[in-house]
Formats: sequence, structure tokens, C-alpha cells
Amino acid sequence: MKQVFLYLCSSVFICGSLIGCTKDNVTKTGQRAALDSFDLTTMTDDMAMKIAADPEVLAEFNAHGPLKVVVRPVENRLTGEVLPRGEAMLFTARVRTLLSHHAPDKFTWIMNRDAFYDLRGRELEGIDLGPSPDAINPQFALTATFSSLADENPKRRSAYYLCVYELTDLSGRTTLWSDRYEVKKIAVKGDFE
Amino acid sequence: MRNEKCEQRNGERRPARQVSPFRIFHFAFCILFLLVGCETSKHVIEGRRGVSAYLSGNFTLSQRVLEPLTEKTDEDYVLNNLRYGSAAFAAHDFHEAERAYVRAYQIMNATKVNDAGREAAIVWLSENKKVWRGEPYERAVANLQLGMIYYAQNDYGNARGAFENALFKLRDYKSADARNYDEQESDFVIALLLLGRTWTQLGRTDEAARYFDRAVELRPGVSALARELGNRSNNVLLYVEYGFGPRKVETGMDGNALDFYPHPGQAGSIPLPNISIDGQSAPTPIQEPLFDTLSMALDRRWQKIDTIRKTKSYLGTGLMVAGAGATIYGADRRDEGAAIAGIGMMVAGALLKASSEADIRTWEMSPRTAFIIPLHVPPGTHDISVSFQSGVYQTWRGITIAPDRETSFLFRMMPVTSREYDFTRPTAQSVSADEVPMSR
Repeated sequence: MKQVFLYLCSSVFICGSLIGCTKDNVTKTGQRAALDSFDLTTMTDDMAMKIAADPEVLAEFNAHGPLKVVVRPVENRLTGEVLPRGEAMLFTARVRTLLSHHAPDKFTWIMNRDAFYDLRGRELEGIDLGPSPDAINPQFALTATFSSLADENPKRRSAYYLCVYELTDLSGRTTLWSDRYEVKKIAVKGDFE
Repeated sequence: MRNEKCEQRNGERRPARQVSPFRIFHFAFCILFLLVGCETSKHVIEGRRGVSAYLSGNFTLSQRVLEPLTEKTDEDYVLNNLRYGSAAFAAHDFHEAERAYVRAYQIMNATKVNDAGREAAIVWLSENKKVWRGEPYERAVANLQLGMIYYAQNDYGNARGAFENALFKLRDYKSADARNYDEQESDFVIALLLLGRTWTQLGRTDEAARYFDRAVELRPGVSALARELGNRSNNVLLYVEYGFGPRKVETGMDGNALDFYPHPGQAGSIPLPNISIDGQSAPTPIQEPLFDTLSMALDRRWQKIDTIRKTKSYLGTGLMVAGAGATIYGADRRDEGAAIAGIGMMVAGALLKASSEADIRTWEMSPRTAFIIPLHVPPGTHDISVSFQSGVYQTWRGITIAPDRETSFLFRMMPVTSREYDFTRPTAQSVSADEVPMSR
């Protein structure tokens, strides 16, 4: 009988320990078949490096001086996914930030008109908004289009992502530079989904 | 007494009071239960306050009460964000509604959000410890509303993504190896129609036709609506939510089974909306409701948690019966050990039964159905009325129809919000919660 009690007590202890290990932050648990911060840094590091080293971009810089570029938010063509405005801006804004740090002489960054007036409206101190979009006509646009093939069933959700970045000449509608980032994600569902 | 005599007879001496292992076991369990109860009660009460405010038509108060709960990343994180999002949605506060729905969306799209500790708590303590992500119909409706928030802001790329995700969420009603999802898509044909409309606005008539054809194939009664949605000269889209979705209720021997209330038959049929613009009746292509959450909820599949709950309940009953038998036996034979064991079994059984209660958390604000009504209205300021035969109505005065883009307007139809409203801002998305008059 005593053994049974000991078993029961130890099982209560194990349960209690497990329950004690429960994370109270549900936003930090689970698997997601979505682009995450790792993809953001990998993708944007890669794109910034490739733009800065691209021979055609360098030739354009050598011929006409710094490229006047406007950055646009990501165009969402993802299947079954939303890309809120903040995230959509983040994926291109980080490329701009990296390039303005590592190749400041090659590019003049012109803020997207909406974002410029939004920030100016807030009168944020300490933020250099750069030239007004009305004062300088951008020559190029840095755009990104995210597409995916996604599927979901009772066992899992999976998505294959294709993220295409382009530096487009706005006057001729030609593409000066383009590259892509591809990744596949699978999230398997658990017992208590 | 019997043991004391034995001890004296053998000439042994034990401590006068020995802590029984049973007591330790029961004490530990009781403490755990109390702790779980204390933790949940406070925010559950606040959540109910927010829901009550919503149901009485005071969306601003509902938002104010629910907002602090949206930051709490516990098992009710998704539920509270959906509740808050509903209040903001009904108040046309799209910025806040989007923020809340996106938070909920991120957890609803994740898998294995219940870690090992939480799974142990679900099995041994309470099913309410499970991270609430809603039934498939609730997830579909949440994505539909998120899509409508984007649609109303003319963000068609995100609207399309949300409508597609709404259809994905319904796939949990089907077995894993299912080849097609005809039944699920037929039950939620509104997502197919809105996908068609969104593709139309994106200029992809080929994709739009694919979705409209699919909708008509599954539900021939929506053909007139599909035709009007495909017509880009219709510059206004009304989204009208009606009624309330089902609530989960405990059924079975001791509340160990789940059911939804009311059933479609108990709630009656869904009436169709009548529209008038500037006092003139406007013809609509609506011939039937586009979904009914009361009937969708009945498709709930048997889940592992149901088996665990039933097993716990039956095991608890068995332990209580066996414990009662052992206690009677022990008392009869003056066997203290058997009696204590019997009492212990009864207590363990009672605890098991207490922990086998079903999780009845429900998104109380979800609508029973929604209608989408495309209209052609000349640009300018107009009064738009929506009414149902049930007596529920709303009239919005001074809605501005933009000349250069589609205008969408959302109506949350409830008996307590049946009245006239003045629309002071030029577009639906710019109305803040404070400007929406509330019924008391």
C-alpha cells in the first residue's frame, strides 16, 4: 500500500514539475510555417550584400552618381497569409538600413511618400527623414514581392516561400537588379490542436 | 485504536501523529487546484464584463475593459484578442481591430502551442489550461473579419490572404487524408465569393472567375450574387453581420461531453436583409445565407481531449464507487487501513471527475452569419439602411461614397443597436469608436 502512495506522490510531483515548466507566454511557444526573424535577417543581409556588389548597379553609380531610390513595402502575394503594414515595410526597410550603413555613398534614399508624411506629421525628433519625396524624383524603386504555395490539413501546415527583390528603373520600367530568397516551412500539428 | 493496541502489544513505540502519505497526496492536489482556480478567476471575470458590454451594444466600454486582457499572453490570449477585435470591428475602429486580429491570427496559425507542461495540466488538472484557439468555424470567421478589415481599407492583397486562410481553417473539420474540401467550402461559400471579388479588384478576372465558378458549383443559389460581385461597376460593398454564433455547453453524465447551443432548428431560420439607399429600396442579389455558424459548429470532430475527458470521468466514477465499497468494508471489519484507502480513492475519484469538466470557452461575439451586398451607388453622400424582418435595423446617415475607389461599409446587426446613426467622417475606416453612438 505504501508503495502505491509513493507512486501517487511521485506522479503528482512530476506533474507539478511539468506544469511548473509551462510557459505563460503563448506567443513564444509552438511552431510556425511563416517567415520569421531568422528569415528576415538572412534574406535582407543577403539582398543588401548582392545589391552593393552587383556589377550593373556599380556601373550605374559610376556613370550617374548615387542612385536615388525609393523603398516600397512588400507586395503580399502569399497564399493564406496576411502581411501587416509594419512587417511589409520591415523586409525592405532593413535592406535600406544595411545599404545606408555599408554603402552610404552609392545610394540616396528617398522615403516613400506616405511614410514620409506620416513621420513628419508625428514630428519625431532625432530621425533624419531625408529629402522630401516631392523635392527629389526617385530614379529607382526597391520593391519586394513575396509569394507562396501553402497548404493546410488536420496534420500540418506547410508553405514554400519565394521572396523576390527588385531594383527597378522607374523611367524605363526596366529591372536593374533582381534576386530571390526561397525557403520551405512545415509546422506539424500536435495532439491538442 | 486497533493499531495502538497492536503497537502496545508488540512493545513498540511510534510517534503519536504520523503524517499519512494519503494526506500529502490529497493536500498537493488540492493546492494545485486552488492555485489554478485563483489564477484564472480574475481575468475571466473581466473578460465576461467586456462581453456583457458588447452584448449591450456599448462597444467603446467593451474595448476599454478588454484591452488590458489582450496583452496577457496566457491560455486566453487568442480569445481575448478576438473579443477585443470584435468590439473594435463593430465600432469601425479598424486599426485596433486589425492589431487584435493579427495577434490572434498568429497563434491560430501556429501549431503545438501547448508545451509539455501545459499538456500535463490539460490532462491532469483542467482542460481550461489549453491555449484557446477556437473551433475551426471560429477561426474561419476570425479570418473572414480580418479580411474584411483589410478589404474595407482597399488592401486587397492582405484581404485575399485572410480569406484564403479562412478556408484553410475549416480543413480541420475533415480527416487528414481527405482529397477535397467540398463540404467545408460549401458551408463557407462567403470566403470563395470574397476571394472572387478581391481578385476582381486586383484586376485578375481569370482568378476571380475561378472562385466564382467554384462558389456557384457548390451553392447554385449564389449565382446572382457571384455575377454582381464580378461586376466592377458596383462601387459599394456592404458587409452585414447578423445574430450570434453558438455557445459551448456541457452535457453528458457529469458534464464530460460538449455540445453547442442553440442548434439551427432551435434558433430558427436566418432572415434575409433589405437595403434602402436614401429611403429608396435597393434590389439585392441575396437569395440565401452564405454560412451559418450554428450548423458549422455541429461538424466538430471527435478529438483526443474528448477521450481523455471521458476516461477521467469514468475512472473517477469507478474510483468513487470502489472507494465507497472499500470504506464500508473497512468500517464493517474495523480495518482502518482499508477505510482510509477507500476514502482516499473517493477523494481521488472526485478530483478526477472535477478535472474532467469540458472546456466551454467560446468566442461569444462571433456572428451567426454575414451577408455581402454589392451595390452601385453614385458618388456623394448617402443614407444607407439595412433591416431584417426580425425587426433588427440600422440606418447610417451621411456615408460618403468615394468617386475613385470602392467603398465598403460594415454593419454589426443586433437588436440593441437598432437605431439611426450619423456618419460624420468621409470614409468607414476613419470612424473612431467614440463617434459611434451606442444603444443603452
